[in-house]
Amino acid sequence: MSGAQSLPDPAMMAEDADDLGGRSRSGWFTEGMRQAMSGPMLVVAVSLLSVGGLARDAGFSVEIAVASTILLWAGPAQVLFFGAVAAKTSWPIIALTISLSSVRFVPMVVSLLPMLRTKRTSLPTLMLAAHCIAVTVWAEGMRRIPLVPRDGRMAFFFGFSLICFVGTSISTAVGFLLIGELPRPLAAGLLFMTPIYFIATLTRNAKRPIDAWALVLGLAAAPLTEAFAPRGLDLMVLGLTAGTGAWLIQRHLDARMRA
Amino acid sequence: MSEVYDQGLWPWFVLIFFGFLPSEVWRMLSVFLARGIDESSPWLAWVRAVATALLAGVVGKLLLSPNGALATLPLWGRIGPLAVGMIAFFLIRRSLFAAIVAGEAAIIAAGYWAG
Repeated sequence: MSGAQSLPDPAMMAEDADDLGGRSRSGWFTEGMRQAMSGPMLVVAVSLLSVGGLARDAGFSVEIAVASTILLWAGPAQVLFFGAVAAKTSWPIIALTISLSSVRFVPMVVSLLPMLRTKRTSLPTLMLAAHCIAVTVWAEGMRRIPLVPRDGRMAFFFGFSLICFVGTSISTAVGFLLIGELPRPLAAGLLFMTPIYFIATLTRNAKRPIDAWALVLGLAAAPLTEAFAPRGLDLMVLGLTAGTGAWLIQRHLDARMRA
Repeated sequence: MSEVYDQGLWPWFVLIFFGFLPSEVWRMLSVFLARGIDESSPWLAWVRAVATALLAGVVGKLLLSPNGALATLPLWGRIGPLAVGMIAFFLIRRSLFAAIVAGEAAIIAAGYWAG
């Protein structure tokens, strides 16, 4: 090689430089782990305790219970799965019910991935990130990820998710071994963790009227869709109508602001 | 079939084919759906609203038709603690921790009261 290689154009260098806000990628990974440990991991772990108990009731081993947490990564789908197996539901119906309950990940993944990716993010990375998205990770991610510089986001997200996976795997196993031993009011308290945490997080996340309206309409619509929408599809009907309602209200408010 | 069950492979087969794959297909599909969508797209506001409403609906369902130990409480014993938690949230500097502690205290008390 000759010594006459031209230096890279400084403008190009600036464009290629990573936007990491003074931290390395592994620094952001650790920061994600730290933030998950400061609270969210505990909540998601507690909410999965009951799944372990359900798996045992359905006649599965503790390995299957923990694997269901890592693979399904969806509390409600796991509750459905073990509940349906215990009730001797036919396999195709179980698969269909699980699939319908997981349709709700579509809006979560579609709204979170564009915040995480850069132009260079590979398809396998995106697929792994999509697998990590569940309710808690989504709700926390929507609030925390915008505060992380673009190129650190994926590392932050994987650190955050990893801790949530580890915490819930442990709690699924603990629940498998313990839940039958708990007095009933305490067991009810554990199961209540999910509702109170979700509603408080969503309220804290609400920045604009659309967020608050989606929350209120979604809660209010639950008894209606429970009564009138076809089983299995009720959540999807609820999300689409209440979400669209909130969106229309926001559009109306925006139009009035401009007028 | 029974020897598969005895070897312990049957539960894995069931979990993967009737649990994991039917669920995961939506996440993978969403990777492709998310491709054309930019973070600032107006579409995303709608998608976000649908996701928020869905999550609120999940909570509504959990409280209306609960299973396990929650089902042993009457309806007021499930809705009341949610209200207590949210009142604490707004009174104590929009604190998530306050909401959880107050809500949990209320539901455990309701459990002992009703049981």
